[in-house]
Amino acid sequence: MQIAVSGGKGGTGKSTVAINLAIALRERYDLVLADLDVEAPNDHLLLGVELANEEPVELFMPRFDYQKCTRCRKCAEVCEEHAIITMRDGTPFLMPNLCSGCAACEIVCPVPGAILPGKKLMGHTYLTETPYGFPLVTGRLLEGEERAMPIVSRAKKRAQGLEKELLMVDTAAGTSNTVSKALEDSRLIIAVTEPTPLGIHDGELILKLAKLMDIPAMVVVNRSDLGDVAKVREIAGRYGAEVIAEIPYSENIIRSYVEGRPIVLTDYPEAELFREIASRVVEFLGGGE
Amino acid sequence: MQLVIASGKGGVGKSTVTASLLYLLKDEYRFVAVDADADAPNLDLLLGVERWEEERELVGAKVARINTESCIRCGICQERCPYDCIKVIDGDYVVSELTCEGCNVCGLVCPVPGTISLDEVRSGVVRKTTTRYGFPLISAQLDVGRPNSGKLVTEEKEWAKKLMGELGLKHMIVDSAAGIGCQVIASIGGADLTILVAEPTPASLSDVQRAYKVVQHFRQPAYLIINKADFNPGFTKLREWAEAGGIPILGEIPYDRAIPRSMSMLKPFVEAFPDSKAADAMREIAERVKEEILK
Ligand code: SF4
Ligand code: SF4
Ligand code: SF4
Ligand code: SF4
Repeated sequence: MQIAVSGGKGGTGKSTVAINLAIALRERYDLVLADLDVEAPNDHLLLGVELANEEPVELFMPRFDYQKCTRCRKCAEVCEEHAIITMRDGTPFLMPNLCSGCAACEIVCPVPGAILPGKKLMGHTYLTETPYGFPLVTGRLLEGEERAMPIVSRAKKRAQGLEKELLMVDTAAGTSNTVSKALEDSRLIIAVTEPTPLGIHDGELILKLAKLMDIPAMVVVNRSDLGDVAKVREIAGRYGAEVIAEIPYSENIIRSYVEGRPIVLTDYPEAELFREIASRVVEFLGGGE
Repeated sequence: MQLVIASGKGGVGKSTVTASLLYLLKDEYRFVAVDADADAPNLDLLLGVERWEEERELVGAKVARINTESCIRCGICQERCPYDCIKVIDGDYVVSELTCEGCNVCGLVCPVPGTISLDEVRSGVVRKTTTRYGFPLISAQLDVGRPNSGKLVTEEKEWAKKLMGELGLKHMIVDSAAGIGCQVIASIGGADLTILVAEPTPASLSDVQRAYKVVQHFRQPAYLIINKADFNPGFTKLREWAEAGGIPILGEIPYDRAIPRSMSMLKPFVEAFPDSKAADAMREIAERVKEEILK
């Protein structure tokens, strides 16, 4: 079973909600948290752990054996990324930065062995134990690499492979197809948003995506005193989503963040808000002990 | 001169800083502003844009489609899709349009010719307006679930370049996308320099370091603006990192409620609250940008 924490805009407090919710839910479920914001993964920082058990994510990259290549140009023609250029005589060359590793070129090449399976490193996945009784899987794209999709999909597989009762994914911001990949198979999406015009605008996009993917959504309004929560309610209502929590702007949350102590484990009154979100989720999923 | 403002991740106030910087530069400099965060554009909101003068649809994203009539349900496409985008729904093989990368591997391996087609779909819009401040803004919006390709950003920058020629503008100021993926690479690539915005937290430091590696990759100079500078006084690592790497710090903006309040008013904070301490800091930063960067 999988649930996702997502939010249209970056910096809305999505990761704070994800880690605190994971901590609150660990008593009910045997769970794993997956940080699929591979361009800027931060859950490990919020949980105060060093990434461990690194595994490379390598992609196929064609290497040409020019002794065998007949210069037929088929590989270049089929490459949707235009990553293969050909010289006037048909000799193919790869522009590695454009290659997505899909292997279409290898599939069409008529000469066995003319294209060899080279590899390129795109990033890493990590499996880190946390002091909170659940593991964290993190995907991290290498700087200078463009393609987040393979990392998202590999990190998600690694988390799924642990076969926990509950997989909680923390997605990137936005609504691109890597976010869809992270959301896929979720039973529930918790959309974290702010009641500011920007937050509302981006929050609406994530609800739209949830609807397109046919996944029920609930909304958590962060920094709820900085804007118009009624407006968020109205838009959420339009997409059949309910606002389940309002978290006011809070020095305590910042303090707990700076101290590296997740707020849900403190005596601050805000801790109760996160426990309430957790019980709403449990109620919805109808599982746990 | 092409100047990029980046942060490695959203939420550190990059766009609010950009909007205020544009506001402070607008009287002396002739520039076009580009919002390169096509996944979550918001510079238009911060600049109070109400309508677009011109919109261009961008097709170019491709998605595979399976014809269930001729499909023999052999499952080869599902096995070979590098991104796991093909599912079996009620016995039919179906491509998930919201995750497909359009590589056509499925089409190449399918044994029944014509069963899988690769269709062009709209990936989003690129649009242009003249802001109430007089300078033009180019922005884009990616459609929900489309590959986050750098193509939209490249398209935006090309349009901006054309405008520079037509209107005799001297500078392009690009508000980069969050993250470090293809949109950021398309934003930073080809620019002259990058201004990084970060806040003093471990997460923001880690993000900005990753963005800085992209800047280094393109061998560009970088500058740093520290936002919410007083919000985590014990945290000195951001400063130390900049100093050690020789990244000049253009200034520090204190945490100020004026900023979120100005966001709700849909105005740059230097315009909405010119007497706030954040606005003071921002004006100093703009002076340094004028003296050291735009000269
Ligand atoms: S692996 Fe795919 S993207 Fe890379 S060169 Fe071959 S066809 Fe092009
Ligand atoms: S498809 Fe194979 S044989 Fe043809 S040009 Fe490419 S590598 Fe050479
Ligand atoms: S086009 Fe590529 S990504 Fe899309 S379904 Fe086919 S194999 Fe998968
Ligand atoms: S490979 Fe072709 S025939 Fe086989 S399941 Fe896929 S679409 Fe159907």
